[in-house]
Amino acid sequence: MSIDIFLNLTVRGLTTGAIYALVGMGIVLILQTTNVMNFAQGDTGMFITYLAFFMITTAKVPYSLVLILAIAAGAVVGLLIERFMMRSVRSRSHLSLIMLTLGLSLLFQGLAAFLFNTEPRLFPPLVSGDPIKIGPVVLGRQDIVVLLAAIVTFGILYLFLYRTKQGAAARSISQDEYAARVLGIPTPSIYMLIWAIGSALAGLAALLIVPRFSLEPSFMGLIQVKAFTAIVLGGMGSVFGAAVGGLIIGVVENLVAYQFPAIKDSFMLIVIVIVLLVMPQGLFGKRQQRRF
Amino acid sequence: MTPSGTRRLAVNAALIVLVLMVPLVFHSRSSIVGYLNIAMLYAIATQGLNLLMGFGGLVSLGHAAFMAIGGYTAAVLVMTYHVNMFLAIVAGVAGAGLFGLVIGFPSLRLSGFYLAVATMALGSSVADVIKRLAITGGDYGLINIPVLRLGGWELTSEASKYYFFVVILVAVFLVVRNFLNSRSGRAVRAVRDSEMTASAMGVNVAAYKLITFIFAACIAGLSGALYAFTISYLHPMNFGLAFSINLLSMSIIGGLGTIIGPILGALFWVMLPLVIGGRMEFLSTVIFGLSIIGSVMFLPKGLSELVTRIQTRLKL
Repeated sequence: MSIDIFLNLTVRGLTTGAIYALVGMGIVLILQTTNVMNFAQGDTGMFITYLAFFMITTAKVPYSLVLILAIAAGAVVGLLIERFMMRSVRSRSHLSLIMLTLGLSLLFQGLAAFLFNTEPRLFPPLVSGDPIKIGPVVLGRQDIVVLLAAIVTFGILYLFLYRTKQGAAARSISQDEYAARVLGIPTPSIYMLIWAIGSALAGLAALLIVPRFSLEPSFMGLIQVKAFTAIVLGGMGSVFGAAVGGLIIGVVENLVAYQFPAIKDSFMLIVIVIVLLVMPQGLFGKRQQRRF
Repeated sequence: MTPSGTRRLAVNAALIVLVLMVPLVFHSRSSIVGYLNIAMLYAIATQGLNLLMGFGGLVSLGHAAFMAIGGYTAAVLVMTYHVNMFLAIVAGVAGAGLFGLVIGFPSLRLSGFYLAVATMALGSSVADVIKRLAITGGDYGLINIPVLRLGGWELTSEASKYYFFVVILVAVFLVVRNFLNSRSGRAVRAVRDSEMTASAMGVNVAAYKLITFIFAACIAGLSGALYAFTISYLHPMNFGLAFSINLLSMSIIGGLGTIIGPILGALFWVMLPLVIGGRMEFLSTVIFGLSIIGSVMFLPKGLSELVTRIQTRLKL
């Protein structure tokens, strides 16, 4: 493998990893604070992307407005999920909460397939044009957008979590929900805020990702599995871990796919099981994990 | 005998007669019996998952992999190595059990969604490995698997399969029920409710978690092996994450932690698309999603809770 190919693979891997990171950050934000592993993250985004698709192609709404609307729609979906579903079953087992999100994911997939049929559609990219050459590396414009979006999202989430009152409240809930309530933190509204932000991220992520694939009801499935592995690799505890985990998985996967195409799908999955067994705290998690 | 006891006996007898009558009633429409056969196979696999999740408190998002291993092992043994079909099925069950041991080990260290992710990863990679192997037909799938043969008796008609599966289904469910009522079964449930309490009472938590995983895997393997000889076609895509989630959904809708739940869930899952009709296939996915949400939020024991309510209402 020459150095040029290596560089190209790595950078392309980074852009793939940015996709996993974008999805993963939303999942981990919700997981960390509300203790729900959101299996519907990908499909929430998928459904919003369908709506966005028809806004762009049929209603000719400007792309930037659609992007904002998609984020807003995600936030609304998140609010509704938290207010009308999660709140009433919060005290149940983690299994019930996982199953609830699995049910949601099926619901979104079924709705999308039922309303819009399953034939793959091409979604226009946010920026089109020839790929950009930076030294030996060739990069598609949309890929650069995704990479930048992942970085900006990470920055915003970091500022939110560490520089705002609500962010501090969310972090305190993730440490000890009971103590947070005792100290007067309004946990229900923080939960709603976190669900809104997490699902808004789902909408944004899906819309930016979809031009690279094609729009069909199942297009987020594999990406979500990868996002989960990114979270595990990053330690399940932090948005930072999810972001870096996503990037690492993207790069390693791309390199493995080039050298050993036969094992490209399974490789990361096996790695993740080993990571879970040998160091369940992941790369950036604290050793003292919450036990479930 | 008390009046309610008599009534109960009568209802049970009616149910048994009803179950036995089905192939005769649908004699001219054997496809319906065929769907019931599939539902029974799913019910068997789901019973394994139910044992694991409902009674063992362990999550598995890779349960379809056990079915795949059972099915492929049995089918390959019969087709390539010309092994006796009964032995091949036994080998399929054993193979799945062995893999259950492998997947079970993570469960000793992981719980909650850590385990969910681990089983999801292992389950998806099994489908991927099968896709790469030559002996399993790879991406083309395994076609022309011979039909089920018992001694000299070939089960070609749907009705004969139906009666055979009813026997297997009842046997599996009885074994699971008796296991759960035995000392080991109580230990498994104790581990689910509180690991610490269980180990304080002298239950070997690690051993029972592994036993639960192996048992559940064996049941799924049996279902997979029978599936192979019924459908005569296996493809790795059919045993991916999506099917694992389907099995999970069946057990949730039917009712986790109940013995009859898996039958109700599998019947609901297989029959609903038929009732709705072919063109509305995806509407049934919507209904499945809503049913899962509904059963988690309002009916924690799923459809079997409805059955229990009807029973109390009728004072059975």
